[in-house]
Amino acid sequence: MASLNPDDERAEELNTLQSIYPELAIEHTNPFTAHIDLLVAPTIPLPGIFEPEHVVSRLAYLPAIHLDIALPAEYPANAPPLVNVSTTPSWLPSATADSLAKEAHSLWEEYGGAQMLFAYISYLQEAAETAFGLSEITLPSGLQAELESYSKRMKRELFDKETFDCGVCLEPKKGTVCYRMERCNHVFCVACLQDYYNNCIQEGDVNNVKCMSTECGETRGSKKNARLISPKELLQIPLALETVERYAKIKRKKKIEADPHIIYCPRSWCQGAMRTDKYPKITNVREMDESDSETDEPVKSATDEPLQADGPEKRRVGTKGMDRLALCEDCNLAFCTVCLASWHGDFVSCQPRDTSQLTEEDQASLNYIMRNTSPCPTCSVPCQKSYGCNHMTCFQCKTHFCYLCGAWLNPDNPYEHFNNKKNKACFQRLMDMAEGDMAEGNVQFGGARGAEQMAAFWEEEAMRIQMELDAQHS
Amino acid sequence: MSAGAKKRIMREYGECMADTPPGMKINFDERNMTKWEVLLDGPDQSPYAGGHFKLEINFPNEYPFKPPVVSFKTKIYHPNVSNDDKGSMCLGLLRADEWKPPNKVVAVLRLIQTLMIEPNPDDAIEPSIANEYKENRKEFEKNVKDWVKRYAK
Repeated sequence: MASLNPDDERAEELNTLQSIYPELAIEHTNPFTAHIDLLVAPTIPLPGIFEPEHVVSRLAYLPAIHLDIALPAEYPANAPPLVNVSTTPSWLPSATADSLAKEAHSLWEEYGGAQMLFAYISYLQEAAETAFGLSEITLPSGLQAELESYSKRMKRELFDKETFDCGVCLEPKKGTVCYRMERCNHVFCVACLQDYYNNCIQEGDVNNVKCMSTECGETRGSKKNARLISPKELLQIPLALETVERYAKIKRKKKIEADPHIIYCPRSWCQGAMRTDKYPKITNVREMDESDSETDEPVKSATDEPLQADGPEKRRVGTKGMDRLALCEDCNLAFCTVCLASWHGDFVSCQPRDTSQLTEEDQASLNYIMRNTSPCPTCSVPCQKSYGCNHMTCFQCKTHFCYLCGAWLNPDNPYEHFNNKKNKACFQRLMDMAEGDMAEGNVQFGGARGAEQMAAFWEEEAMRIQMELDAQHS
Repeated sequence: MSAGAKKRIMREYGECMADTPPGMKINFDERNMTKWEVLLDGPDQSPYAGGHFKLEINFPNEYPFKPPVVSFKTKIYHPNVSNDDKGSMCLGLLRADEWKPPNKVVAVLRLIQTLMIEPNPDDAIEPSIANEYKENRKEFEKNVKDWVKRYAK
């Protein structure tokens, strides 16, 4: 039967221990039993391997080890303490837990019957720093989410409690308003990070969107080491979604512009880049976590082909057959990267050409476009009506416009344009030429450029008549 | 200029006061804190020794995201300082693409002192002076001393 004498050596030891570790809890019912949770933060994050998928995740913090201590009446002189080491959820291999518990026995022997709990707890804390000698732990995948979120939460909690001197505003700031950079671990306050990156992105200076620290990649001559921050990380800081989208867009554009292998769409109203796997279109910046180097470095492609030296546009020479085919990423035009005409099939041989020089064929099609289409008032893409009323919706930008005069129409009430007497040219003409410009094989263009041509024709005609009259008078 | 930027300049001034690099005096006007006037003695181990130079440091509105602008108000014969009435400098830290927000004015002042002891002819704003510095050190030092006598006493 345990004596309740407060002068008991065991009670004294536990009380002393409690003043060192306030988190040590002594049982109310039995003053000779206690428990304590010890933080596990290995200096090198412990790789957790989650089976059966074999997902590896590096854990910087693991759920605390729970140490139960019970001191028998014979302790310390004649009996070792009874200890039990456990974890919730159970991530610590039982063999390791057992050997940690055994260590209590050997320490007790080493201390020759003296009080040894402090030494034991210190031993456990030290062992936790090296993850108890474990190089990895294998766990069922069911524990992955729990352990990962624990590690993240602990990291955040400990970070929040710290105070940092922000190197930009030079003020001490609480961890709660600071952010630690993912790659280099430098810490700045969120307000300064937001100010700086918003400013960079606003000015289009995307190559400065990297860690602000002077230690980051700024050693002379090798400043290219500094990496640009990924859109995903910018959102974590956090920056506004539209700012991050602008950042990703400019960055992509700069890369494309720096790449001599990219050919642009020959349609002058489009000029989109050719489709390529190298620069995928931006779909969701939330998932863009690559932190690439500066974009002004020339991109080295694996198959560096000889480039045409100078010219308005650098273009591949010696490319043959289907390799010449490119698709515009914006308007989907299939074109030839050598002659810049719309795709002519793989058997046609063709010559390099500047975009400014038009072939007869292109000139003819351009002339046709100039005569027989109406430009969209927003994006200028040429439109031709195949059938229907004169209220058009641009196929590219969805602008509503009038096919007769090219005027922009209010999408909420597009027909008002045709019902308003003020619009003399278009009043009551919604259904004019509803069968389309090419009805029954007759090209009868009814679009805005047709009206321009009509005006030009009558102007010339008037001039001619005037001159005839002048000639008669003289 | 944002309140944060002003606060930072105040702080930096405090730090400079507490630990002014030797041979330097900073005049600070609280009503116009974005313009500092610095009086700088030519470092002893340089041909500028004995000269007193007046500098102006202007903080841009975007400070500390953009570097401060330094100009010598006293004429100085130096490859890295423009030989005109502006006396401007543009190298190292002071360049927009090399400046990093945690850099401080103190670092800029130290850079200037270092450059007076050891000019950087490879990043010169005055190529002819840089050339002279490289090819004819004696002539260079003579000219420096001449100018010190004429302008910086």
